[in-house]
Amino acid sequence: MTAPARTSITAFPRGHEFSPATFTLSPDQVRAYLDAVGDTNDYGNTIPPLAAVALGLDALQSEIALPEGSLHTGQEIEHAAILCAGDALKLSGRIAQRSERQGYVISVIEFEIADIDGTSIRARTTIMAPAGGDA
Amino acid sequence: MSTEVASVIRQLPQSRINAYADASGDHNPIHIDPVFAATTPFGGTIVHGMLVLALIGEMMRASFGEAWSTTGKLKARFKAPTRPGDTVTASASLSREKDGAAEYAVQCATQTGEVVIEGRATVVVSA
Repeated sequence: MTAPARTSITAFPRGHEFSPATFTLSPDQVRAYLDAVGDTNDYGNTIPPLAAVALGLDALQSEIALPEGSLHTGQEIEHAAILCAGDALKLSGRIAQRSERQGYVISVIEFEIADIDGTSIRARTTIMAPAGGDA
Repeated sequence: MSTEVASVIRQLPQSRINAYADASGDHNPIHIDPVFAATTPFGGTIVHGMLVLALIGEMMRASFGEAWSTTGKLKARFKAPTRPGDTVTASASLSREKDGAAEYAVQCATQTGEVVIEGRATVVVSA
């Protein structure tokens, strides 16, 4: 199977659905995340919600290219249940909003990360990218 | 369950930014390449917004445990860049309690008092 080509985020229209992806976060990946941010809370074998979002965004970027000068300007997250390290996670996402302002394209990516039971984390990420910028 | 939330204070040196880039996969050069970043309007590297936001997640988890992970909601706006070496304080102020949920105004501010993230966090504090 060929990985989808990466497309500048500015090119995606509102309503665009990204290809569903499946990924797993290992305990080592979660540990590396916690060490990097300096979080010493005990999460056991669970995935901190913001780690799931950060690593989910990374998974989405197999499809999305960000032009130079792009900025992450907002983040929403809603936790419905705990996700566990090592579980297969399904990622689905779409462009929920798109607007242009002062030479920038403002895109809101809405995505959900769910385990096999369907429990999930939902997130909305706002990205401001230069219109016409090369990715 | 108490509704008090203890602040989290952390310095964010370039080494932590680099570690976060590796852990998250976000290697945008604005965060990790000083030569490239010097050519941008920021004039230098800036901290990942999600790394700064993680302090709010840590703060809420420390105060509410699994309740944060199972019922939490967070809405945040990245208002200004955080620079390598900045010391950031994440804090929360109770806005209201209703129907067993507590809503907080949350923010991250640098050592100069500049608010770099502000938003709202909600967690269920009683069944």
